[in-house]
Amino acid sequence: MNMSDAWVLPLLPAAAFVVLALFGPYLPRKGDWLAILAIGAVFVLTFPIIADFTAALALEGEAFAGVANSIQWMEVPGHLELNFGVHVDGITIVMLVVVSFVALMVQVYSLGYMKGDARYGWYYAVISLFVASMLALVLADNFLLLYFSWELVGLCSYLLIGHYSHLRSAAEASKKAFITTRLGDVGLLIAIILLWRETGTLNIQDIIAAAQAGEVGREILTASVVLLFLGAMGKSAQFPFHVWLPDAMEGPTPVSALIHAATMVVAGVYLVARMLPLFELVAGGMEMVLAIGLMTTFLSATMGLVMTDIKRVIAYSTLNSLGLMFVALGVGSPAAAMLYLFTHAFFKALLFLGAGSVIHATERQDVSGLGGLWSKMPLTAITFGIGAFSMAGLPFLAGFWAKDEILVALLENKIAFAFVLLTLPLTAMYMMRVFVLTFLGEPKEPEAHEHAHEGPLTITVPLVLLAVLTLVTGFVVFDQVGRAMGFPGGIGDVIYLHGPHAFDFNVAVTLGSIALVATGLGAGWYAWVIRPELPASIMARLQPVHALFANEYYLNNVYQAIIDHVILAGARVVAWFDRNVVNDTGIDGAAYSTGFAAYVMKFQQTGKLPNYALAMVIGIVALAAVAFFKA
Amino acid sequence: MQTGYILLATIALPLFVAMLLVAVPSKRADLVRYISIATGFALFGLSAYAFFAYQLATADTYQFELQWTWIENVGFLGKDGITLHLGIDGIGAPMVLLTGIVTFAATLISAKIDYRNKDYFILLFLLVAGVFGVFTSLDLFFWFFFYELAVLPMYLLIGVWGSSSTFATFARTKEYSAVKLTMVLVGASVLIFVGIFAVFVEAGIGTFDLPQLYEVEYDENFQKVVFPLFLIGCGVLAGLWPFHTWSPDGHVAAPTAVSMLHAGVLMKLGAFGIIRLGMQLMPEGAEFWMPMLMTLGVINVVYGAISAMAQTDFKYMVGYSSMSHMGYVLMGLATMNAVGVNGAVLQMFSHGVMTALMFAMIGVLYDQAHTREISAFGGLVKRMPHFVAFFSIAGLASLGLPGLSGFVAEFNIFLGTFQTYPALGALGILGAAITAVYILRMMAQAFFGEENEKWAGLKDMSRYEYAGGALLLAFIVLMGVFPSPFVDRIAETVLNIPGVS
Repeated sequence: MNMSDAWVLPLLPAAAFVVLALFGPYLPRKGDWLAILAIGAVFVLTFPIIADFTAALALEGEAFAGVANSIQWMEVPGHLELNFGVHVDGITIVMLVVVSFVALMVQVYSLGYMKGDARYGWYYAVISLFVASMLALVLADNFLLLYFSWELVGLCSYLLIGHYSHLRSAAEASKKAFITTRLGDVGLLIAIILLWRETGTLNIQDIIAAAQAGEVGREILTASVVLLFLGAMGKSAQFPFHVWLPDAMEGPTPVSALIHAATMVVAGVYLVARMLPLFELVAGGMEMVLAIGLMTTFLSATMGLVMTDIKRVIAYSTLNSLGLMFVALGVGSPAAAMLYLFTHAFFKALLFLGAGSVIHATERQDVSGLGGLWSKMPLTAITFGIGAFSMAGLPFLAGFWAKDEILVALLENKIAFAFVLLTLPLTAMYMMRVFVLTFLGEPKEPEAHEHAHEGPLTITVPLVLLAVLTLVTGFVVFDQVGRAMGFPGGIGDVIYLHGPHAFDFNVAVTLGSIALVATGLGAGWYAWVIRPELPASIMARLQPVHALFANEYYLNNVYQAIIDHVILAGARVVAWFDRNVVNDTGIDGAAYSTGFAAYVMKFQQTGKLPNYALAMVIGIVALAAVAFFKA
Repeated sequence: MQTGYILLATIALPLFVAMLLVAVPSKRADLVRYISIATGFALFGLSAYAFFAYQLATADTYQFELQWTWIENVGFLGKDGITLHLGIDGIGAPMVLLTGIVTFAATLISAKIDYRNKDYFILLFLLVAGVFGVFTSLDLFFWFFFYELAVLPMYLLIGVWGSSSTFATFARTKEYSAVKLTMVLVGASVLIFVGIFAVFVEAGIGTFDLPQLYEVEYDENFQKVVFPLFLIGCGVLAGLWPFHTWSPDGHVAAPTAVSMLHAGVLMKLGAFGIIRLGMQLMPEGAEFWMPMLMTLGVINVVYGAISAMAQTDFKYMVGYSSMSHMGYVLMGLATMNAVGVNGAVLQMFSHGVMTALMFAMIGVLYDQAHTREISAFGGLVKRMPHFVAFFSIAGLASLGLPGLSGFVAEFNIFLGTFQTYPALGALGILGAAITAVYILRMMAQAFFGEENEKWAGLKDMSRYEYAGGALLLAFIVLMGVFPSPFVDRIAETVLNIPGVS
């Protein structure tokens, strides 16, 4: 299994999807084993690819630009050639590991979590399609395949958010997610076509090379970069497209872990990281990414603070993290962004699966019905805690290392640095809050507490594995660890796309961030454990602010108003115009005027010979006159 | 083996069956049904054979050729005056296949017709013969003859077997829709008729044979005057704005299978005519008028999509959606470049199968529920999972989801459009986003959410409906995943159209 054989990876789950979609109901256990077999095979096959990659890296060093392999899909000879192909380089390897491992964990977890679901087989089919599309997305060597799989992961997200199809809320949430991301995709598609128009190719590496050689006009390049970023913003739920992600929590929890935390939503980060050379070429390109990232990070931290649904809190923390990744990209540090993406995938998946374990046990997901679960579900509590504190940035957990990398990269940009520092205690505080309200204190609903218990092994084993990874993955920042794993220049070399880059470590920044995180955690502990009546009184005093956060800055209301009163109202006007003006006046009017003309004309048909004779005489005279004057 | 008898059979067989059905006693509804479905299957087989046996990279422009002289050397007619000249090129081949697919599916879907089904199938087969005739004729006389043959049975099919609808603010009777549809289309065909004679006289070689007429160089001013006759005349059948209103009303009033054939195949005749008569006969006229067609095409796309968004009736929504998607075909043709025109022909096929599938599914629902109001339903997925799956896949194809046929076609059209008209291309892509809005709203409203108790008695598709739907679905997926068989045939021919760069 060499790097050039990587095209096999997406085909395995794709084949599983086809079999499950067509024959799933007839297979034993609805075919869940087939889906797990496929993703398991992908996970195993990733290793020889990594080995091949490290070998190539050792051989060629920094000159290694990746391996590509493609086949033709369709061709208009001499005008257009569309190919499907894979390209493997460092960034792809990172994504492959993330996708295949988290997908495997989630699929195993779902054996327990989704047991007894009415559409169990369909669930596994769609998850398989998702994994196939996501693998194709990160392997794609050209924009056609990238867009192809980009849309397919969107479809899977749509199907899985709407999995509980009997719920009106799920139907609405899935629709919202698809349409919102699709709006961004309009930008992505236009950008792809513009770049094709300028360079004559859809191959990503060729386009980057052409742009760097100055073969793309400045205006076109600027437009393409902005439009490309729109696509990334939609998929990665950046402000102001972020509204779909919290609603996407309507889907089954394992889906939230896989799609709406670890893999699909980071596709935008991946895209920007991959295309960063283009952003660097455009004046203001990086600043745009930075500004959007900061805005998303800050706003989501404030909203996370007041949410009461355990999944929604984690969803806002995901927005928080995604914003942070864009911040890192915006200051030109894809290495920090990818490191954060890598660690985030594990601890965020862990958080969601932990939340799923709670929901599975109590059938409640609002913190007002939870509390005191520590005694009943210690394993879930500990693993969830590891995830939550990693998110908060507690030292030596994965999130801590990755977050510090971003802070160091931000040192040059004081405003952005300050902004991110500001969000640190907020993040720490709400992660502490959700942990305390769920696992500590008195059970708020004794009945739910009574029946709570740890899930089966299929649920707990993925939790433990992900927790272990959350404990250790952060250490890859050290080059020594990277070298020990077989990456000659450390992991930084692998992730960074354009030349070597070592991870930095800045003691002052680290101590500062630890202090802020400690403040946040302490404040959270104080507010929800020591003086639990405090939050309510603060809330009451700052009612307008609380309402603003809890209503998500009223952005949903604004969007809804625009949809109802502008878009749909406008559509009704057009439809009215079409029916009454174009049809009833234009088309029917022509018919009526013909009828009217006939009505008028029919009176000439008198049946009286003298009338006809007169008309003939007038005619003859007229013709004679014409002939006379012409002569 | 390449013989023109294959194409002749696609025309002769439905005509023969129409005559055969006259002799079947109308009490034997079952016999009529079986004969019709068997004929549909045979037509599908013939057209699939013609498509797959079509040879790539041969010197012949037309394949499966057959030329029978009808009248020559009489009066103003010279040698080869009027001949039954059949043959297909790389554009005709997928169109013939499309007709075969939709016809077979339509006969399956029509199995549930009880009211005078003998008369119904006779008219249906006359229509089908006309459609095959247009796609295969290489003689202007017969081309026009078949064109009219395809349009006229519609009048009775809608008027007799159709359905009237009443809405809060307006009503549309089936008689009104039938008359409007026929009048508008026949009126437009007068323009084509005038154009045909203008070409005949201008060429001055005494023949209606198209390949011979293609050889003639027409005066540039003549081309500029006559091209719009073909453009508008054929464009009306393709749903060209602002002469499109016959189409949503007509689709809504028509019985299911007729909507399928009409939106799926007949509207393609218009686009096909623009290529065959317009672009191929008078490339300079085309070059002059194409910017206007591009503008109208974009209006079709955006205006149709916005109108579709406001519809509350399944069929009206799909009707306007059809108009919007035919706009992509017009845009693709108007690019006059290889990629865009290739996309246009792909879209003709893609739109054909996917709209036919949507209308078929609406029929499944309407025949049980007797309402097409989207908001009247909810949670249909519980009782009718296969119906929802089929309908959704057709919907996803229409919003341009990769892996289904719509994406391949639209992607080519966008690439082509951006080469010359980037701003209009961007509007076209926006149209695809609007499509997503109305398709997904419809799905969320009718298919998902709490089940509406009132519809607890609804049943999923019958076997016939299942078979017809699956056939259409198979080609939506085939083209989406594996477009080469289509593109190879189309591209080769498109590159030979004069004026296409």
